[in-house]
Amino acid sequence: MNENDFTELENQLRKLRPAQPSAELITRVERGLAEEGSTSTAGVLPRERRFHFNWLSLGLGLAAAAALVMLALIRLHQPAKKAPTVASKSPLPAISTTSNAQFVPAGLTQVVYHTRDEGVHFPTNSQQPMRRVRSHTRETLQWRNPQTGASLRISYPSEQVSLVPVNGQ
Amino acid sequence: MENVATDENWKTCFSQLAPGLVLFARRWTRSAADAEDVVQEAFVKFWRRNHDIANRGLLYATVRSIALDFLRRDSRRARRESTAMADVDKAVEPAFDIEDDSQRALVAAIDRLPAEQREVLTLKIWNELTFAEIASALGISQNTAASRYRYALAALKKNFPST
Repeated sequence: MNENDFTELENQLRKLRPAQPSAELITRVERGLAEEGSTSTAGVLPRERRFHFNWLSLGLGLAAAAALVMLALIRLHQPAKKAPTVASKSPLPAISTTSNAQFVPAGLTQVVYHTRDEGVHFPTNSQQPMRRVRSHTRETLQWRNPQTGASLRISYPSEQVSLVPVNGQ
Repeated sequence: MENVATDENWKTCFSQLAPGLVLFARRWTRSAADAEDVVQEAFVKFWRRNHDIANRGLLYATVRSIALDFLRRDSRRARRESTAMADVDKAVEPAFDIEDDSQRALVAAIDRLPAEQREVLTLKIWNELTFAEIASALGISQNTAASRYRYALAALKKNFPST
């Protein structure tokens, strides 16, 4: 028999049954779970202390949350008030007002990146069926100052719905 | 045991775990009554925070922590703390339902094991903890837990050759 084979020994050990605790133990645990703040066994871990800790944590958490909310509110209000001030104080608009007239249109690009055929429809006041095509595009407008070489570009998304007449054959 | 670990009914959990928990707690206490006090306190504290026993390592760590606090609380015991573990080893009757002489001899052999080996043996055999859970409960590595378990079995086999 292998000296390191403890299977038989483990089986013997498992046959040993620990003594059952007293019947009232479960009742005492039930009472302990039901009663708040009781210290059933000489107060090894006073529950008041634990609850005090929980309330303290809750209070600190709420205070931190309130501070964050107030900070967020302040930040939300700040740009609305300061935006005109910044615009007027910024030196860039002053430059642009003098040079704005010198910007000339340099280009327009329109990129259609998604088109969806929404099927045949009968628009109001139309006897002819129309096919509705919805396109998502991105338009970019560009200006350029020939004197300074500066350029200005504005890009924005747009959605376009086209009605294409349907020719029945 | 896996079903118990996910059962949210504390009575079901406790009924199945209580004998093993009390046996574990008796390592530090001088009587079954004291061990039950420790288990009661530990389980109430544990259940209020967890509401299930998925983390069994933490449950046994709680029992251990409260048992040590319990041991230190009593000034009479505190005075003896330096020799408490040795006293407990001798004083505590193994808390098993012994059926025959063979089991009595086996329990006596268990009683002679070093406390740290008996502790791991108790958690492994009668509480069915994994080595990972034992490591978590006792604050030792899994390798140490496994080593202590094998040393315990080897010692028992040596003292109890019929197995």
